Amino acid sequence: MYNLLMKELKLGVSPFFYVLPFLTGALMLIPGWLYFLVILYFCFITIPNMFGGYKSQNDLMFTSMLPVTKKDMVKAKVSFIVILELLHVVTAVIYGMISVRLYPNLTYHFFAPSFGFWGLCFVMLAIFNITLIPMYYKTAYKYGSASIVSITAAILFAIGAEWLGIENSFVYDLFKGTGAENWAIQLSLLLIGIVIFAIFTIIAYHIANKRFVKVEM
Amino acid sequence: MLALDIKKLNKKYEHFHLKNVSFQLEKGYIMGFIGANGAGKTTTIKSILNLIRMDSGEIHILGKNMSEHEVELKQEIGSAFGDINFYTRSKIKTLTNVIKTFYRNWDDDTYYKYLKKFNLIEDKKIAELSTGMKVKYSLALALSHGAKLLILDEPTSGLDPVARDNLLDIFQELVEDGEISILFSTHITSDLEKCADYITYIHNGQIINSAEKEEFIDMYRLLNGNKEQLDIIKDQLISYKTNSFGFTGLIHTNDFDPSLAIKSTVPNLEEIMIYFSKKEDMYV
Repeated sequence: MYNLLMKELKLGVSPFFYVLPFLTGALMLIPGWLYFLVILYFCFITIPNMFGGYKSQNDLMFTSMLPVTKKDMVKAKVSFIVILELLHVVTAVIYGMISVRLYPNLTYHFFAPSFGFWGLCFVMLAIFNITLIPMYYKTAYKYGSASIVSITAAILFAIGAEWLGIENSFVYDLFKGTGAENWAIQLSLLLIGIVIFAIFTIIAYHIANKRFVKVEM
Repeated sequence: MLALDIKKLNKKYEHFHLKNVSFQLEKGYIMGFIGANGAGKTTTIKSILNLIRMDSGEIHILGKNMSEHEVELKQEIGSAFGDINFYTRSKIKTLTNVIKTFYRNWDDDTYYKYLKKFNLIEDKKIAELSTGMKVKYSLALALSHGAKLLILDEPTSGLDPVARDNLLDIFQELVEDGEISILFSTHITSDLEKCADYITYIHNGQIINSAEKEEFIDMYRLLNGNKEQLDIIKDQLISYKTNSFGFTGLIHTNDFDPSLAIKSTVPNLEEIMIYFSKKEDMYV
């Protein structure tokens, strides 16, 4: 499994996609922006490029001929996606910290880069993963519809969350009102987000695994 | 010991059916796997490598069941697909560095020995290699991880005669010690006349014959006769072609009665293949 993961890191994507999080992360410096977009760029750009690369390079055949189990093939790929997602979130968090210090007196209409907001980003990625990964592994090479559906699901979640943050007083309080200053609430929101992300991704892996067993090269 | 033992392999697709495919390859020999395009060569090879799921049947490699010991056996198998390219924009060096981490018996010395022998340059990209060089690179990889069974799908297709001959010489060298066995599919029958010990012929998803090369050829006779003779022997022929002088047809040696005084010759593999595929056309 470790060697498969190393294979993904070395061959899976162009090194450009390891730099990309630092570029998209810089968008956190736009004051009061829709910060969900920063993470969504991963879904818009990296995923279709990565899967397109696998398809054109015959990665499925290449990997299948190596002495590895199908299960490990899925595990490595899911882990690789998670690593890239974490890279995007962590760099965005760092830029977010700079951003709040750059504009201390800003009034945020959309979510500010708080820990609670990063929790929501993890939920968004959880929804993205649970739609993308199982759909992709029906064939393990067709990524068009899987990308469109998962990106749409992630966008709908982001819109819904922003809308609730504005319209719903409970959500408003939690993220922008009194809850914003409360570290316990903020960290709990982040933690809940991470837990949902982990659970959804693990479920996605298991469904993908079941489907991939039936895939023929 | 058998390097490869396939028993009653079945795989059904909507428009194609692999029916009861069975054959064996002795350790230390080269088996040519022949058949027309679409006969089922690649499907069989993919089944051996567990790339597709067979409906029924058993595959044993070096005495072990492939479906139970897939990962372990893949350490012992080297494979190459003539027409499929992987990571063509990567350098040989980059790809090898990734691939070698998967094999416990990887030997760098052997690898560099074969790179040198095959004139492969590490800094070249896969896309820059000729078809023959790509096959040689696959062979270098297989041999460096100590593969005992080489499964090659059409390794000689698309090669010029010189490169083909060169590759066939390499195959023969490899099996010399009796440790390595090779199964290679091809539709270029002259390759097999040069180097195969055994021939397995697949036609329309079914194995027509699998035997030692000379024995395989000896099982058939090519007949040349006039129209009257054709009428007598028509029913025994596998298939035939008529021309203005009479006919040419293929027959099982056992079915041929030499007292009929029809001119008979030993066919070559190509002729056997052609007349078998003609068989179907005649009944359509």
